[in-house]
Order: sequence, then structure tokens, then C-alpha cells
Amino acid sequence: MSCGNPVAGADALMQRRKKYDKTKNCLKCKVAQGNLVIRHAVYCKDCFLPLVVHKFRRALEPTVNPTPDGPRRTALKPAGNLLVGFSGGLGSSVLLDLVHRCYVALDKSTMPADGGRDHPRHERVWKKVTVCYVEVCDAFPGMKDRTDEIAQAVKRYDELDFMPLRIQDAFDRSWWERIGGRPLPSELGVSLVDEALLLESLSSPAGDPLGSLRTYLSSLPTPTAVTTSVQTLTRLLLLHTALQTGSSHLVLGTSLTSLAVSLISGVTQGAGYNIREEVQEEWTPEPEACASPDGPQPEDEGTRKRKAGKRTVRVVRPLRDIGMKECAAWAWWARVPIVGKEKWGWAGAKPGIGTLTKDFIVGLEKDYPSTVSTIVRTCGKLAPKGKVSGRCILCGRPAQRGVQEWKSRISIRSQPAPPSLTTASADYASVPTAAAVSDLLRPSLTPYLCYACHTTLTSKSARPVPSPWPEAAQSPVVTLPVWTEARLSSAQGGDTEVAHVHGEIMQTRRVGQDEMKGIVDEFLLDD
Amino acid sequence: MSTISLKIEFGGGLELLFSNQRSHRVTIPALVPASGSSGDSSSGEEAAKKPADLSYLISWLKDHLLKERAELFVENGTVRPGILVLVNDADWELEGEGDYQLKDGDEIVFISTLHGG
Repeated sequence: MSCGNPVAGADALMQRRKKYDKTKNCLKCKVAQGNLVIRHAVYCKDCFLPLVVHKFRRALEPTVNPTPDGPRRTALKPAGNLLVGFSGGLGSSVLLDLVHRCYVALDKSTMPADGGRDHPRHERVWKKVTVCYVEVCDAFPGMKDRTDEIAQAVKRYDELDFMPLRIQDAFDRSWWERIGGRPLPSELGVSLVDEALLLESLSSPAGDPLGSLRTYLSSLPTPTAVTTSVQTLTRLLLLHTALQTGSSHLVLGTSLTSLAVSLISGVTQGAGYNIREEVQEEWTPEPEACASPDGPQPEDEGTRKRKAGKRTVRVVRPLRDIGMKECAAWAWWARVPIVGKEKWGWAGAKPGIGTLTKDFIVGLEKDYPSTVSTIVRTCGKLAPKGKVSGRCILCGRPAQRGVQEWKSRISIRSQPAPPSLTTASADYASVPTAAAVSDLLRPSLTPYLCYACHTTLTSKSARPVPSPWPEAAQSPVVTLPVWTEARLSSAQGGDTEVAHVHGEIMQTRRVGQDEMKGIVDEFLLDD
Repeated sequence: MSTISLKIEFGGGLELLFSNQRSHRVTIPALVPASGSSGDSSSGEEAAKKPADLSYLISWLKDHLLKERAELFVENGTVRPGILVLVNDADWELEGEGDYQLKDGDEIVFISTLHGG
């Protein structure tokens, strides 16, 4: 029946396009009838389940050894333990199940069929596997605390350590010191009132972590900023926990679908420079942030290298080739219970960029499933230009050199021009160490931030945005996460060598209105 | 038979919308109005009938079993994107999706991938 067929009646509908190629039989074994369609390919259950395991291992195992495998596959010997980031969602539940089957329970059905050098030994790849859950309910009003349910879900798997955290730990100095962070001497906060992001002393000592968290989130300019900030705080909490547990690897349950969402969402918020880190990254803590209780000790090259190796965390997303639909099918057929995650929101908040992107991508996956994997493949081909200039003080990812200079060139700033100022006399690079700070160049968080984090903190909505915690103290100066404070206080200190995060001397000069007009005069249109 | 008996299962968090119950047994008419509405056919002239299909079942579930937040289950006359539907352990995309004609004893599973994860 086709549209052009005169025999068909007036109401004849165009035949619906099949969602799968060729036949309903399994593409792999060619014998059994298919049970699942993945991007137009049909698989039976018996072929689908091992395929998921294969994709999981293929994404994870090449990253296990400190240096990538050469042409000859060697045994898996990671530098440290394994930390599994668990959110209770579909992806992380499937991830936990696969990690346990393949590396703890040593489920024979997940092993490669052939033996030889590749065959797993009786000794485990990972000596210790810890599951870390960050409870975010205190960040959003009315959200249920799921820590107990999560603990129960993890308990189903034997030989796994469980480590629950709370999102407000990011503002908890006692947590910071417990995990080996240097005690924070100063009480520095940031003013989120305007783009200047000036650093100021907190008027009163930092309140309880919960209060600090809520004040911080309430001071952010948009719902998008709140969501992104909670995600960043969660990721940094997981990274520091990985260090604490001696883990060389942190695995996250980001599926192919979720990865497409986070890649697109990241690019739209200005994080394109870190597009590769969004898939996989190596993170090392800032040395000045860490306590060294034993003091400097004579070490040989081997010890130093080993120690340095231990303090690097490799973040891997082993489900990155497995779509959301495949995860759901696995969870159903392998009987993996899903605790679930609640939507992040509060009264009056419009959906942010992350939510809108997720709705879009999930819709795409239904109607045009191949496009989701195309998004991830294409993003994987991108190599951002520009030199790295230190790591962002907030998100810990490589910062691009020169972003503030570029921003000031292309954007219309909302700051009013101060009364006639000429070039500032102070050398900006000396600000952190000089006892007398120039009045004209007050310390700001800006030079320490990557483009995306700076945008998150400063990009305002045109309309007033309802705060998630209206009753939280509306303080002009808010507390920063503990790792940010640690780096700031070390930058302010005089005894260590200060490396300005951007490795360059930035001089900010406020320009008078007449001078600005003079520059653009020839481009102004006559009224 | 004038009715069809079906086993319905919800997973991935969808059960929360259906009285927090994962497993349900439902009975629906074998023949339903061709227009797709799950309501009773109006009096008067005979409406055209068609065998009950998955599209009908979905709107029937929404009208009779769903307790809250309909927008998390249905959208534009079908299940919301992100919900996997299995018919007798097979992807509904292999069976023609909403057009699949239900048989007595069929097992239909709805798995959410969203607020479950």
C-alpha cells in the first residue's frame, strides 16, 4: 500500500516504517527470534546479555592498567582500588551489577569464552571495591532521603564497602580534614552579587555545612546554575572519596544516552573545552590542598612515582556504549532492582538547560535512535584548541588560557564604569603575595575559574528566579566549597610559591565612558 | 471471548504511579472503538470496532489504573519517550508498537528509564 497506489482508499495510511532492519530474527545468532531492537539491530535475549557484558568490559578494561595496553594484552593490574559512584539511578544500578558480576562474584557467564593469557586469574583485579553514594536531598526542598534504601540495595552485593556522603559535605571542614585535607585557616567567601566575583572575608564564621550549601545554591543566578553546581559538587566529592579509599579508578554509570545529554548540555553552558573530560579524565588533587602530616621525607624515585600514581584518579564511564534502553532491558532481565532518583526542582523553577537537553535527547532516542550514538561519536572526534592554564578552582578540570580576556573583548559587561580611572598601577601578579592590596584591583575568584564555572556563577536570567531556599540567609558573601577554600588560602599565603592559575599576568583596567565611546565611535549608527 | 485477560508489570520506578504495585492483572474488552477512545461507546449508532491493541491498552491503563502524574506515563497518545515496552518478553518495536493486537494471556511490561534513573 503506497501513497501513489490508486487502488488504496482515500483513508489509506502510509505504512509505518519498521523500527528494525531486515528480519525479526536475531542479527547475531540468526536463529532465535529477536527480543530487543537496538538502533535498528535485532538481538535475542541470549545474545543481548553477553553483548552488554562485552561492551562494558571493552570500555573499562583498557583503562585499568596505569599505562594503556600495548599490542599484547597483559593482565589487569590497577594502581589502586575501585570506587563506584552510585546514584540509585538506572545507569549506576546496572554498572554496580556488572562490576560485581565481572570482578567480585566472578560470574562465569560474564567471562570470555576463550582461555589463555586473557583468562581471569583466581586473584581479583580489584583488591577493594567501594560504593559511594552522595545524598542530594538537602539541596532541594521536599526531596526524600534515600540513603537507607540505597544502603539496602548495595547490601545485596557481597564484599562491597558502602560509603554514604551528603552533598553538604562539600562545605564541611571536618569532612575535609577527615579525608586528609589541610585545615582551612581563613574564612574567605565570594560575593555572587555581580560578575566581579570579589573575594571577601565572611562576616561571621562559616555556618553549618547545610546552611552554607543552601545559601550558596540560593545565591546562584539560574536554575541551570543550581543543577550544574550540584553535579560539580557531587563529582568532586566522589573524586576526593576515591583518594581517601586509595582508589585509582572511579567508575560512573553514565549510559550512552546520559553521555549525549551531558556532552550537549556541557557545550551549551560553555564547557566545550572539557568535552574530552566529560567522557574520561585523569584527576590529580592540588598539592597545596593536601595535608602532609609526616613532613618531607627522603624518598627514592620509585616511592615518589608510586605515591604520585596513587594520587591520580582515573574517571571511567564503562556504560558509554550502552544506551538507556539497553540498560533498562539488562536491569529487567538480570533482575536488578532500581531504587530510582527524583527530579531536581523547586517551586517556580523553570526547567534548566540540563532538563531541556535530556528531554530532547530522550525524544531523539525514541524516534531516531542512531542520532544519539552519532552525537557521542562526533563529540569524541573533537579536540579543543587553546592551551591549558591550570585547573579550575571549582570544578577541578583544565582551564583554557585567556578566557577572561576573550570574554571582556566580546561581551557587554554590566559593571558600571567607575569615576575616571587610568591604568592601574599595581602589578596583578603581586596581589596574592603583597601585604597591601591595591584598592583598584581587589581579589576576585574570576582568575581561578574556567569559562564554564565563571559563566555558571555569573550568567543571569532576565527575569527574577525563585530561590530553592528563600528562607536561607541572604548573605552577600557566600562560603565556597572546601577544596576551593583550600586553594584560595594557599594562594593567599606567603610561604609557598604562588603559581597564578592562568600562568600569565592579567591586568584589569577599568575604562571611562568617554574612552569607551571613542573606541566604538566610528561603528555607531547615526540616529 | 468478549474480554481479554492480561498480566501487566511495571518497572524502573513506574510502579510508583500505579499504587506502588509492580504486578497487575487486568481484563479489557476484546473489541474496542476504532476511534481509539477507551471510554464506553456512545449510545445511538454503532461505532466501528477493532481488536484491542497496545494503544488502546495504554489509554485504558491511564484511565483506569494510573493514580497520578499521567504525563509521566503517556504523551501524545502513546507512552512517554524513555519507557521500554515488552510484549511477552519482546520489544514492542518488533511487534508493531501500538498496533500490536492483544491476545488473551499476554504479558506486557512497561519499564521506565527516566525517573528510575
